Amino acid sequence: MLLFTLAARPALAGLSAAEALALVKVVDERQRNSGDWKGQFFLHQQEKGKNDLVYDGVYFRRDADDRLMIVFVQPRSERGKGYLRISKNLWFYDARIGKWERRTERERIGGTDSNRQDFDESRLAEEYLARHSGDATLGRYRAYVLELRARPGVDVAYPTLKLWIDQDSRNVLKRQEFAASGKLLRTSYYPHWVKVQSPSKGGEVWYPRELRIFDELEPANRTTMVVREVDLRPLPANIFTKAWLEAQSR
Amino acid sequence: MRRLLLIAARNLLQHRGRTLMLGSAIALVTLLLVLLTSVSRGVQDTMLRAATTIATGHVNIAGFYKITSGQAAPVVTRYEPLVKWVRQQVPEARLVVDRLRGWGKLISPTASVQVGVRGVDIDAEPELARVLSIVQGDLRGLRRPHTALLFAKQAEKLAVRVGDTLTLSAPTVRGANNAVDVEVVAIARNLGLLSQFNIFAPKQTVREIYLLKRDTTGAIQLLLRDPSRAAGVAERLRAGLTRQGYRLLDAQAEPFWMKIPIVTREDWTGQKLDVTTWRDELAMLTWILTAFDTVTVVVVGILLVIIVIGVMNALWISIRERTREIGTLRAIGMGRGRVLLMFMLESGLLALGATTIGALLGVAGAQLLNAARIELSPGFAIFLMSDTLQLAVWPRAVVGAAALISGVITCFALYPAYRAARLRPVLALHDVG
Repeated sequence: MLLFTLAARPALAGLSAAEALALVKVVDERQRNSGDWKGQFFLHQQEKGKNDLVYDGVYFRRDADDRLMIVFVQPRSERGKGYLRISKNLWFYDARIGKWERRTERERIGGTDSNRQDFDESRLAEEYLARHSGDATLGRYRAYVLELRARPGVDVAYPTLKLWIDQDSRNVLKRQEFAASGKLLRTSYYPHWVKVQSPSKGGEVWYPRELRIFDELEPANRTTMVVREVDLRPLPANIFTKAWLEAQSR
Repeated sequence: MRRLLLIAARNLLQHRGRTLMLGSAIALVTLLLVLLTSVSRGVQDTMLRAATTIATGHVNIAGFYKITSGQAAPVVTRYEPLVKWVRQQVPEARLVVDRLRGWGKLISPTASVQVGVRGVDIDAEPELARVLSIVQGDLRGLRRPHTALLFAKQAEKLAVRVGDTLTLSAPTVRGANNAVDVEVVAIARNLGLLSQFNIFAPKQTVREIYLLKRDTTGAIQLLLRDPSRAAGVAERLRAGLTRQGYRLLDAQAEPFWMKIPIVTREDWTGQKLDVTTWRDELAMLTWILTAFDTVTVVVVGILLVIIVIGVMNALWISIRERTREIGTLRAIGMGRGRVLLMFMLESGLLALGATTIGALLGVAGAQLLNAARIELSPGFAIFLMSDTLQLAVWPRAVVGAAALISGVITCFALYPAYRAARLRPVLALHDVG
């Protein structure tokens, strides 16, 4: 009902908290896939005073079980390294020394500005409460600007978010992440969204083909993440295990 | 006995050249040993002073709080009753303070550095004002929230001065990212390696970054009147805390930050305390002391062997030259024991005189080197925790060095002296040299 109201509402009218949350649910729902997920990604991190980091890799998701696996394929020195999320625990595997380490939610994936959330299922409505703070124009797009605050008792990497949501497509165009103190930490842009047909969902699944992340504390630092190909066919059952990731580097 | 001493002394004087050469060598080894032990002691003192200023007490009660089994924060909750208890249990502590501990990124407009953040109450820590050498600004600025004290090297790297604002970014205990702006209120002279990775900020600012309650701290640090008793005090506190019903981590000689991944892997939640000494917290650096001590032992050992060979050789020559004299002495009734004692006294006198001179020269040399304030290269300065070479003369070590060298030389003189005492008078008198 709320979704219907949202669709019918004139673009410039203010949204109530419930409508704002419903809009966030739409954002989540458009990206949700009820089955498995396999995507190939490319990461490029530029950091002042350091050599650029460039990675090619594959990530697998099984959202029903809260599982995520990220495996680096290139460069050669990083091949076989990866992350495995089982429930609330994120593990990192270093193939060079054959050792697993538990990492936190805020882990910078491969030392870049991307984190687990950038690869994982969008669960904004579960994790945050939303408030419509206005409308804005981003280039040729009209966008709802929503302010999201973490729900009490939910642990998230960024306690406050600001989302710019395309009023036509309901895709996220821009996202800002704030510290608990209110300081802006990271701004991400989503210039290109792609849809794929999901057999398990029986409908379309949208994903950002490109994500540009800007570090607001160190403006010279930026990360570009490109998702090259997404495959939504069922994955083998044993992928989300430590043994599987260990086997990739043997 | 007096007569024997006189003979030994006269004999040393008679062979002035040999005595001078051997005595100089012994004095040189003693001087070297005194200087090396002074350097080692100086490094230890400097390290202890820098460490207890920046990172640790002589004894610390710290620990970890785990909200979930996968998240460990280096904090002690409800610490105030614990501080009272510690004050009662350790009357030999001259100062008991609590500090917050954190790790974050310090960002300036041009650069960033990863730093340990020490949350302090500047009024409760008179030691800081005494030890830190402020090159710019005022330490009392830390009374204000959202301020920070940096060390010169950090300020240089970040290209900031007093009055500039930096951003301190760190993850909270629950894993959320947080950041606050801090004003640089003071810049202190570098204190070696530890000062490269640590800054000071007011407690309330550190609590604000990590979203900690007021009853939470990072570590209770004890400064003892006699730091050498740290291990004993730590052991006593461990036993006392266990009796009080606190859960303790197993004792491990590692700094707290090295324990974080270990504790994170362990399957427990809630609070566990940890009692450590300054040596544990600096376990990564105490290899410097071990290396110095090893070098001292090896160098002095080699030199001692050379000296011992020299002394034994000199005694052999002396015995050979004085065979007829020994024969005469034995013929007029001097017992074997007294002959042995005479030669032992000769080497003992030589060793004692030379080591005394060597030790005195060593002490003077150490004082001169300290007065010269020799600047260390940046690499050495990092590890020795000081910009200049600092030697600490420890009277017990000086006396010990002199006694050790005298003792070793005298002991090794025993065999030639014994051989001299075993000479048969008839054969000795007929010796033609």
